[in-house]
Amino acid sequence: MEVMKDLFVYFSENGAYVWEQFFRHFLMSAYGVLFAAIVGIPVGILIARYHKLSGWVISLANIIQTIPALAMLAVLMLVMGLGTNTVVFALFLYSLLPIIKNTYTGIRNVDATLLESGKAMGMTKFQVLRMVELPLSLSVIMAGLRTALVITIGVATIGTFIGAGGLGDIILRGTNAQDGTAIILAGAIPTALMAVIADIVMGWIERKLLPVKNKKGTTAEIENPAV
Amino acid sequence: MRKRRTSIISVIMIFAIILSGCSLPGLSGSDKDSISIGTISTSESQIMGQIIRLLIEQETDLKVDMVNNLGSSIVAHQAMINDDVDISATRYTGTDLAGALQIDPVMDPDKAMEIVQTEFQKQFNQKWYDSYGFDNSYAFTITAELAERENIETVSDLEGVAEDLSLGVDNAWLTRKGDGYEGFVEEYGFSFANTFPMQIGLVYQAAASGEMDVVLAYTTDGRIKAFDLKVLKDDKQFFPPYDTSPVASNDILQKYPELDELLERLTGKIDTEKMQELNYEADGEMREPTIVAKEFLEENNYFRDEE
Repeated sequence: MEVMKDLFVYFSENGAYVWEQFFRHFLMSAYGVLFAAIVGIPVGILIARYHKLSGWVISLANIIQTIPALAMLAVLMLVMGLGTNTVVFALFLYSLLPIIKNTYTGIRNVDATLLESGKAMGMTKFQVLRMVELPLSLSVIMAGLRTALVITIGVATIGTFIGAGGLGDIILRGTNAQDGTAIILAGAIPTALMAVIADIVMGWIERKLLPVKNKKGTTAEIENPAV
Repeated sequence: MRKRRTSIISVIMIFAIILSGCSLPGLSGSDKDSISIGTISTSESQIMGQIIRLLIEQETDLKVDMVNNLGSSIVAHQAMINDDVDISATRYTGTDLAGALQIDPVMDPDKAMEIVQTEFQKQFNQKWYDSYGFDNSYAFTITAELAERENIETVSDLEGVAEDLSLGVDNAWLTRKGDGYEGFVEEYGFSFANTFPMQIGLVYQAAASGEMDVVLAYTTDGRIKAFDLKVLKDDKQFFPPYDTSPVASNDILQKYPELDELLERLTGKIDTEKMQELNYEADGEMREPTIVAKEFLEENNYFRDEE
């Protein structure tokens, strides 16, 4: 109970600061996922086209994923120095695997007959991608982004060790303070909340993008490729 | 197909340029035009770092970036050498003599300060400022009550009563060579009845509750003030001085000459007692260093009028 009271005192004293760090933490994670999406989605589409590449690309992304976060940050720090950019880059690397893999799976799972009919209607390859493959795989791609965002929110916490700030700063200060339980919680609880909320919001978007619901619209588009 | 490949390559290129170059919107990254201040992971260092940041932001239009939680003074020093950090918020004479400069401890505080100042200019092209006014060293500490009763002001005053007193110290100090317990007995010529090694964080409570009569504490710790303890003067100068100053690279001072005046402003403004108070606000009352720093600067009107 004492801890709860301390926690309340902490938030009332430092609310603005916690909010600032919360926002910074979220931005770092979001940038990492955003850049990974910019790179990962085209790569996923590419390897769905050229199967031979897929093994290589996915195992490379797998290897990146297995590197412990602290080791990754330490190595990147040697090359890129201290600060937020290094953390964003690390988060970018961690987001690649779920995004590439889901894009690949999503595109590969599009029914071959739909592709055939698209082609038969005289669609160009790009039109097939834009009008058939992407709409049908969008929810799976979103699921990849969702996983990536939840991972990065967790990993961003240790960005504090290379001076990037974020909620990890509060947690680390708690571990150094004399009686820091409340401070540690003040950093850890918002981090967990952020991950949960991000997961819920992304899950909602994912469901919105499910092709089944939009079936009417999608088939209409396929039937009418001239749009 | 070639078209798509070139477009992918160009996307990657753009991405690389964004990351290696300027900062991302919303995140003050290690921008070329911003000043970065490094702090180590103590509340004291973070409070001082925030004081410098707020002072710069208040008085100039420069952008400041904090690099918090560097592992130790040596890491802070390395970060400055690598140009990741332009200003170190807290550097201690004793630590830098032994760490960065690798020379033997110098007991005289003025001499120690002079050595770090000239050597840092010469070896690292950095300016070591005059001290803020506090000294974060080891010190023998007793309750104010005992001090009054036995009329104890300095460590030497303990000599007569030490035989009846128990001493609580940090784990490493008892066996340490040089400025450890053995060295202490040799220098001051008396020993305590009992010595109890414990974690440094516990000594304050131990002294306040009367379980220990004398404890070896860090002089700027907020609990000294909170528990009404008295720091005894190290009259034989047994412990090396740990006067605290900011350090800035000459490059950043040349680039932004106004910084020099701002850092000079803080010289001698915070004595050890004031630092105890600020540390206590951060640790004991759980207020973030940035808030403690802001209040302190506002109270003192950013030290403007004294210029």
